[in-house]
Amino acid sequence: MRKTVISMKDIIKKYYIGKPNELQILHGISLDIQEGEFVSIVGQSGSGKSTLMNIIGALDRPTDGSYFLNGADISTLDDAELSRIRNKEIGFVFQTFNLIPRTNAIKNVEMPMMYAGIPKKQRLERTMELLEIVGMSERANHQPNELSGGQKQRVAIARAMANKPSLLLADEPTGALDSKTGRMIMDLFHKLHQEEHTTIVLITHSQELAQETQRMITISDGSIIADTGVKSHADS
Amino acid sequence: MQILENIRLAFSSILANKMRALLTMLGIIIGISAVITITTIGSSIQKTLTNTFNSMGSMNFFEIYSTFDWEKAEPDEDGNYNWEWQEDDRLSREMLDELIQTYPEYFSMNLTDSYGSSTLLNWQDQSMSVNINGVLNFEHMQGLEPELLSGRGISYQDNANRKQTIVVSDLFVSQYFAPDADPLGQAVTLDLQTGQAEDFVIVGVYEMPEAYAKQAYQPGMKELEKVTPVYVPLDTMMYLLRQEDNYRYWADIYYNPEYDVAMQEQLLKDFFNEQYEKAEKPYMTIDVMNMQEQMGMINAVVNVVTIAISVIAAISLIVGGVGVMNIMLVSITERTKEIGIRKALGAQNRSIRMQFVTEAILICLIGGIIGIISGILNGMIIGYVAKAVITNMYPEEASMFAITVQPSVIAMLISVVFSILTGVFFGYYPANKAAKMNPIDALRYD
Repeated sequence: MRKTVISMKDIIKKYYIGKPNELQILHGISLDIQEGEFVSIVGQSGSGKSTLMNIIGALDRPTDGSYFLNGADISTLDDAELSRIRNKEIGFVFQTFNLIPRTNAIKNVEMPMMYAGIPKKQRLERTMELLEIVGMSERANHQPNELSGGQKQRVAIARAMANKPSLLLADEPTGALDSKTGRMIMDLFHKLHQEEHTTIVLITHSQELAQETQRMITISDGSIIADTGVKSHADS
Repeated sequence: MQILENIRLAFSSILANKMRALLTMLGIIIGISAVITITTIGSSIQKTLTNTFNSMGSMNFFEIYSTFDWEKAEPDEDGNYNWEWQEDDRLSREMLDELIQTYPEYFSMNLTDSYGSSTLLNWQDQSMSVNINGVLNFEHMQGLEPELLSGRGISYQDNANRKQTIVVSDLFVSQYFAPDADPLGQAVTLDLQTGQAEDFVIVGVYEMPEAYAKQAYQPGMKELEKVTPVYVPLDTMMYLLRQEDNYRYWADIYYNPEYDVAMQEQLLKDFFNEQYEKAEKPYMTIDVMNMQEQMGMINAVVNVVTIAISVIAAISLIVGGVGVMNIMLVSITERTKEIGIRKALGAQNRSIRMQFVTEAILICLIGGIIGIISGILNGMIIGYVAKAVITNMYPEEASMFAITVQPSVIAMLISVVFSILTGVFFGYYPANKAAKMNPIDALRYD
C-alpha cells in the first residue's frame, strides 16, 4: 500500500477577506497524491495554479478546507512549523532557479541542510552526492553567475533534494530555458522519479510537458476540470 | 554552527558593497576613533605624570616660589605699583634653614646645585669624569633616589663645617679604583670650574639606580666613558667657589604626610610672610604649589575632557548607528528575493533575523576596529609630537619627564562592546523586518 503524500479536501483560498474587493481564487480543490507519483498540474495563467502551488508548498495556508502533507495538518501550523515542513518535506524548483547570489553551488545545495541543523561533514557528503546525481560535480565551486541557465537549474534541483523531501515541487522548471536544456531538465526529473522514486509535482502551463507525466491534473478558474490520475492510479 | 555561516555570509555581503559599507561605517569609525584618541592622550598624560612623579620619588612636597604680594602692596599716587625685582626679594638660605629648624617635625628639604663635570685619572692613569652635585643632605634627591651601599650620605654637619666630603657611585668605584680596593676614607681630587683642584674624602658609596643608567648611558658605551654623578656638600662648594648668592627663586619643601596637608601649607605661608615682614619686605610672599594636588587637578581635567569627548563620540555613534540601520533596510529590500528563497528552503524567522543582525554587528565591529586602530595612531602621533616639542623646547627638563604613550585598554574593550551593541540595537529592527517577510511576496519580489 503506497503512502498518501498530499491529501487535500475542499481547499478554498480567498484574498481581501471581508473587503469589497474580496477575491476567491480556489473554489474547493480536492486531490490526493501518492508516494512516488509524477504529477503535473496544468492551467492557463490566472487559473489559480500558482496559488495552489503555494498551498501545496506550505508557503501559504488555505482559507478553508483541509490539507494533510504526510499526515501533518498544514492549515493549523504556525510560521515556524511551516518553515520546518518546507525544510524537511518539500523541495522547491523555481522557474527562475532562485539560487542565492555570490554563493557557490556547494553552499547553495547545503543551505536546506544547514537550516535543518545537519553537521557540516554530513552536509558536504550529501551535497557532493547530489551534485553527482545532477551532473554538476565539476562546477561545485562555481557561483551562480558563472553557470548557464541549465546548470543553475540542475544545482537548484540538487538543492531541492537535499533533505530527501517527501515532495519535489517544480514551478515551470523549464520556463526560462531553451528547448534543448529544458529537455535535459525534464529528463533529470524522469531520472529522479524512476531511480530515486521521488514524488514530483510539476506545475506548468504547457500541455506538451504535462503529457510526459504519469498523471495530469488540469485546473481552470480555481477548480479541477480534469484528472487523468484516477484512471492511471486505477490501472496500477 | 550557523553563526560561522552567518559571519561568512555577512562578510561576503559587505565585500559585495565595499564602498557602501565603508561609508556606512564612517560614523562608527569617527566616533570610536575620537574616543580612543582622547583616551590614549588622557591615559598617556596620566601615565607620564605618574612615571615622572615616581621618578622624582616622594610627591609629598610643596614647590614654593617667592612672589610679589599685590594685596599688601600700596600703589603710588598715580595708581601704579612700582616694584622692581630685587635680588634679595627671593628666598634666602637663612629663611629656609630657619623653617627646617623651627618645624623639624613637619618640614624637610634638600637644596641641590650642579657644578659641572671634572676629569680625573684612575688607578691605571686612564681619564674619566664625574658630574659634581652640591647637596644639603642625602634625602629628597629629585630624579634620583640613590641607595647607600656603604658609608654614609652627605649631612648637615658636612655643610655647616664646610667639610670636603664626597659620596660616589659603585660604578665610580669600579672605574676609579683597583679591584678590591676600599674606597671609604680615600681622597679624590676634583678640578673645579675655577681651575682650583680640591681633595674630597669619600664617606659613602651609593648604588647607581638602574633607571638613571638606562637613561644616561647608550648601549655599547665604554665603561670609562660613563659619567656618574658624585655628591658633595653644597655649602662647601659655595665656600670653595666663593659664591655670594645665597638666594633662590624657588625651593621644594617636603611636608610630613602624617599631618594635615592644608595646615602645613598655611604654616608655610605664615612663616614666610613673617620672615618677609622681618626682612622689611612686607610686599613679598610665597606661592605654594602642592604637587600631589596639581597631579590630581590635571587628572581631573583630563577626565572631564575625556567624558566630554566621549559624549560627543556617543552622539557620533548614534548617528553612525542610524546610518547602519538605514543601510540594513536598503540591504534587506535589495535582498528580499534572497530572503524569500531562504524561507522557501525552510529558514526559520530567527535564522533570518540572526543573519542580518550578524551583518549589522559585523559592519559596526569592523568600523569599531578601524576606529580603534586610527584612534591609537592619532593618539600616538599626538603623543610623539608632544614629546618632540617638549624635548625641543626644554631639553634639560625633558629627561625629567618620562613621556609615555599608552593606549587605554579599557577604552578599547568598551569600544568593541559598544560597536557590537550599536550593531545589535540598530540592526535588530531591519533584521526583524526581514524575518517577518511573507515568503510568497518575498519570492515574487524583483
